Amino acid sequence: MADFSVLPLGQTVTLLGEAAKGAKQEHDQIANNIANVNTPGFRTSYLDFRSALQDSLGDPPDPDALAMATDDDRQFPVGDGSAPVPYDPQPQVDTTTQMRVDGSNVDIDQQMAQLSSNTGYQETVSQLLQEQYKFIREASTEQPN
Amino acid sequence: MGYYDSVEISASGLSAERLAMDVIANNIANANTTRTPQGGAFKRQLVIFAQKPAAPDGSDQVGSQASDDPFAPPNPFDPSSSEPANVEGVQALGIQDDPTPDRLVFEPNNPEADARGYVHYPNVEIVKEMVDLMAASRAYQANVAAITASQNMGNNDLSILKS
Repeated sequence: MADFSVLPLGQTVTLLGEAAKGAKQEHDQIANNIANVNTPGFRTSYLDFRSALQDSLGDPPDPDALAMATDDDRQFPVGDGSAPVPYDPQPQVDTTTQMRVDGSNVDIDQQMAQLSSNTGYQETVSQLLQEQYKFIREASTEQPN
Repeated sequence: MGYYDSVEISASGLSAERLAMDVIANNIANANTTRTPQGGAFKRQLVIFAQKPAAPDGSDQVGSQASDDPFAPPNPFDPSSSEPANVEGVQALGIQDDPTPDRLVFEPNNPEADARGYVHYPNVEIVKEMVDLMAASRAYQANVAAITASQNMGNNDLSILKS
């Protein structure tokens, strides 16, 4: 659970750390789906940590836009953003599709594609983290490298 | 959640698929076996896969198993269950005999023939076994690919230290 109000190394590093953790948790889910590809009745599970991460940032109001005034709780607020929700992604089970007659709905091609894209995402996050730490080192040593 | 969970999950898939391939190889090897210690022709064997039950004290596991039977597969054939799956891998619950009847071949001169002249051959179909073998082999490869991806992700994390 990320607390984005206290940021020792900057918000970007904290965010990237949560993203790397989410990629690891999603990788566990994908590995579990692949391991159970021949299990009768198994349902695919997935972890939508990206939207949870997005929600944890909240949606700050646009400073250039005028927020619509409301005088009743039943009116929908417009233009004043949404509050951040705590980051806590939970795995969800896909019950909608069926791939095989034994009740399993693991689509192995889809899982392999997700495995590949998740690994690429994690590598990107890792590279960005390295860049962030490089900035910090440059700032602390006053030595560009 | 440990760092090597995903490797262990994939490793459980590897051993399960390897067991399936062993059983299939045994079925093919005994495709014409008419005598067994149990008597009668060889019976085709099937591996029963199930999701591994969650550890009882797993604090980060969602939806713990209520069943007391450790061999009870979680949520078997229950498509309505929307409980989040535990990331625990797969296990082979056991090996069962295929209940389909023996293949009867009329060979009156065969010493194994019964009173009506029929020989009871195993209910093994080679083509079906080959298809199952191919599926198990491909699933094995998929698990190997998942382990390779785990390794790459670990290397990426370690390279953060080098920056």
